Amino acid sequence: MPPPPPPRIFTLEATSGVPIYRQLIDQVRRLVASGHLLPGAELPSVREVAAEYTVNPTTISKAYGLLELEGLVQRNRGKPMTIAPLRRNQQALAQRLRQIEAQVDSLVLAARQLDLRATDLTALIKQKMQEEYDEQR
Amino acid sequence: MNNGDASGSAVISLRELGKVIGGKAILSNISVDIEPGSIVGLLGKNGAGKTSLIDVLLGFSPPSSGSSRVFGESSFNLPAATKGRIGFVPQQDELLDSLTGAQQLALNAALHPVWDEGLIARLIREWEVPLDRKIQVLSGGERQKLATLLALGHEPDLLVLDEPASSLDPVARRQFLRELLEIAESPTRTVLFSTHIVSDLERVASKVWIIRDGRLVWAGDLDTLKESVVRVTLLARDPVPANLSIDGAVSQRTDGRRAQLVLTDWRDARQRELADRFGADVTIERLGLEEIFLELHA
Repeated sequence: MPPPPPPRIFTLEATSGVPIYRQLIDQVRRLVASGHLLPGAELPSVREVAAEYTVNPTTISKAYGLLELEGLVQRNRGKPMTIAPLRRNQQALAQRLRQIEAQVDSLVLAARQLDLRATDLTALIKQKMQEEYDEQR
Repeated sequence: MNNGDASGSAVISLRELGKVIGGKAILSNISVDIEPGSIVGLLGKNGAGKTSLIDVLLGFSPPSSGSSRVFGESSFNLPAATKGRIGFVPQQDELLDSLTGAQQLALNAALHPVWDEGLIARLIREWEVPLDRKIQVLSGGERQKLATLLALGHEPDLLVLDEPASSLDPVARRQFLRELLEIAESPTRTVLFSTHIVSDLERVASKVWIIRDGRLVWAGDLDTLKESVVRVTLLARDPVPANLSIDGAVSQRTDGRRAQLVLTDWRDARQRELADRFGADVTIERLGLEEIFLELHA
């Protein structure tokens, strides 16, 4: 029996309106921003990701190519791709905020439809974040 | 990658292809190429022309106008050598009911100069294809697996499948899709499959052809399609006009200050354009292929 495959690190939804390569880029960025993928961490190969998730390899290699251009991952001859050394100690705050902006946009829209005031919403967000961070500790 | 006139290296090249049967246009003005190494998913409603298109490009029936070429040869006069590079699984299989699976396999193997015994043995095992029973007693799914095996044995450079997974259960479908990916991993091998199971296509296809009433309404990257078609919601300060006259809108609904429309040529810059033009909050929603397909048929 071959050893069981390692747990999946990505969540790729083929039926989502977001192309798979986009999902993969966003997830690698997030995993790096949150410190779950540290510099030097190996990424599964295009072939492995395509086989594991049964998705077309073109979209995976597109994601890896764009991540490489961005400087977030690096190609290593004959070895798996790795997370690149961080240029700054961590990704800039502005960049991390940009990654959550789309979710904030839809939240704001929902809040507007419910006639919520900004102060009410931020209070709730603050409370939820506190709970979440407490749980992790 | 794509240098404009790519038809020289194209596996399939269709030019202004038309097909008329009994005075009715079944296919109209189809021009498209398939590059080697791609998996192309052909999507369309029943009767849209999927099977007719496959028939013409494989040379089972001649085009009424325009041209269809496979590996550079005219589809309707394919040399035997070119036919040998094609594997085809029709919607209705052509298995011989009185043979066992093993006999049918041996028959097909004998017809081809090349036959990949190793691959066939592996797929028989993995797909659990029954070989000892007569084909007439096999289930729809078992027949489909056997028919697919027969099309793979001679290592075709072009594999064409018409509704290949329709009788397969989810486990078998997944195994089958994996095999398609494996085939197209070779940069010289190409897969074209028609389906109405949108989620299968979404998984494994790199390119999508959407055919509607015999016309190709989309032929291109699946990723690009998903990025181009979005649902936009406008929430304006003032009531919006009933007709928003926005370019590239396939559907629109307006109600007072609210409007919802589907655009087919989305760019992120349009969000600001629309916000400025209508004094509106603009939210966009990305659509899965099934919804895109429905919107294109609205």
